[in-house]
Amino acid sequence: MAASIRLLARRIVRDAFRTINSSVSVRIVSSSCPSNLSACRCFSDGAADKSTHFGFETVSEGEKAERVYKVFESVAQKYDVMNDAMSLGVHRLWKDMLLHVMNPQPGIRLLDVAGGTGDISFRFLNYVRSQQERVARRTARANQTPSWQEISTSYMTPTEEIEMETEARESRAVVCDINKEMLKVGKQKAESMGVSSGLSWVVGDAEELPFDDDQFDVYTIAFGIRNVTHIDLALQEAVRVLKPGGRFMCLEFSKVTNPLLARLYDAYSFQMIPVLGEVIAGDWKSYQYLVESIRKFPDQETFKQMIEDAGLFSVRYHNLTGGVVALHSGFKL
Amino acid sequence: MAALLRGLRVGRALRGFGSVVFPKTSSPQCNGLRRGFHCAALRLQEDKDKSIPVPPSSTTTYHEHYQEAPAPEADAKEAPQPNTSYADQSGEQGEEYETEEQLQAHILNAALDFVQLHGWTLEAISAGAETLGLSAASSGMFQNGAGDLVLHFIAQCNAQLTEQMAEQHNQVQLGQAEPKKTAEFLRDAVETRLRMLTPYMDNWPQAMSILLLPHNIPDSLKHLSTLVDDIWYYAGDRSTDLNWYTKRAALTGIYNTTELVMIQDSSEDFQDTWNFLENRIQDIVNMAGAAKQAASTGEAVAQGLLGAAVTLKNLTGINQRR
Repeated sequence: MAASIRLLARRIVRDAFRTINSSVSVRIVSSSCPSNLSACRCFSDGAADKSTHFGFETVSEGEKAERVYKVFESVAQKYDVMNDAMSLGVHRLWKDMLLHVMNPQPGIRLLDVAGGTGDISFRFLNYVRSQQERVARRTARANQTPSWQEISTSYMTPTEEIEMETEARESRAVVCDINKEMLKVGKQKAESMGVSSGLSWVVGDAEELPFDDDQFDVYTIAFGIRNVTHIDLALQEAVRVLKPGGRFMCLEFSKVTNPLLARLYDAYSFQMIPVLGEVIAGDWKSYQYLVESIRKFPDQETFKQMIEDAGLFSVRYHNLTGGVVALHSGFKL
Repeated sequence: MAALLRGLRVGRALRGFGSVVFPKTSSPQCNGLRRGFHCAALRLQEDKDKSIPVPPSSTTTYHEHYQEAPAPEADAKEAPQPNTSYADQSGEQGEEYETEEQLQAHILNAALDFVQLHGWTLEAISAGAETLGLSAASSGMFQNGAGDLVLHFIAQCNAQLTEQMAEQHNQVQLGQAEPKKTAEFLRDAVETRLRMLTPYMDNWPQAMSILLLPHNIPDSLKHLSTLVDDIWYYAGDRSTDLNWYTKRAALTGIYNTTELVMIQDSSEDFQDTWNFLENRIQDIVNMAGAAKQAASTGEAVAQGLLGAAVTLKNLTGINQRR
């Protein structure tokens, strides 16, 4: 039965390839993005000589950024739907785990790089809001039996001062992505959810962030760092924009530790995901690139070493779903 | 826009701007040179001067992977390196901390000031980190959260007590002070140790409950047993038999019950607690005395009975030895 499904898949592949090739070529012609070229200009001199991987292909570094941009431009509209379909909804648990480990205190600033459709930022704002509500409830309960000292101080301080203290700790999230399409989808989501305060959308390249030094308390990059051409540059930028004591957190697909699970995962990745991509989003090659880029990404220990080399301390990682996803965390001390 | 900011950054660097000291490395591979910490070093130095020395018996390991398979500690590569290897490029930085443990100890020391406000929680640790100039997110370094704070505090208190007892011991050795009797020494030691809790008395029940959480019990028991062992050692106990265990068990019981009494004590300067402590120690002393007396009485009784039996045998003529 598996064999017949594979035959069916191969037939779909053959048909899809024909349609894909034509549609991709059409898209290349139609997408006249000057910003695309400016992004490549950063690595122009000498980059044409160096080669890197784009999935299992070898391309020049300049070309990789361009092709990644096109991949995400084409998948942007169906990105969230595809995430749910491919991971069977488990990606929500992974992102929730990221927030749980982050445990943000109210008033901190989050930079969500490669944030695209804003999943992490929305969760962050919800988390902080619920924490603030919990604290407010606790203080309200404690205030129900105030001591005479508390009553006298509350009569003495004017109400504006009390309000100012509570408002000073508003948390903010900045979503940064190189791809305008993804940000557009994210903004639409924010509008439909009614989230407006404390959220900004910025176009920027992870290897060269448009922010000053020491700006953010937490820097997250969820499922984005494997698409960056120079991962060490992205890590250095992360160290630059983080405040002292700030936290770097990276959620990324990684090496599965269990061999049996690894075989199942490989079979699922290479057989099912591109097919799902074609059926739901009409884009086989992008999802082929996705599963190949996962294989090309360094494993947990190597990535931990890279993070330490960039200058972060207390680096740890946490395997989720048996190593399918790894959550790395480091501090700028 | 990125180019504009790049220009601004370059300009700033040329003018020597920037309050945060930031050694710039040419390549990310020279990891050996950048092991110092960049932030708020001067302010940390002030703290270092007035803080209590970090206790050597800090038990929590801050560098474990979450994986089941135990991996070599990440800090092993940092701890054995000598100070000289931390080549510091910028002269503006003052003293730096060699290990993460020292920095974590400083954050926890700063967090103790906020315990009255926030309780023994991660918020207190975040507030402490902020006073050192670090972001509130650095409280994520403490995987055990509030447990780390409480364990650090009791380790610190135990270290202080041990220092004081060693000092007194030295003075006795040098002949400058009179040696105390055991009961008095025990009472003073327990009282000194419990008085260290008075600033945090309002939240101490929360701290005790944190210490009783299952994942904290091994560490808290270790701290308690070393505390009791140290007190007995400086009280002069060198026993090598069953007494070693009974003495420590007795003192553990006294310490725990006195702590519980202290929590709900509302008298002036905890006078009720010290009275309770005095009575318990007196009980122990009495019991020790009573045990000794019972042993000697038992011996005497046994001898008396033996003598009576021999006399009877003599009288009835059964005795064969004439």
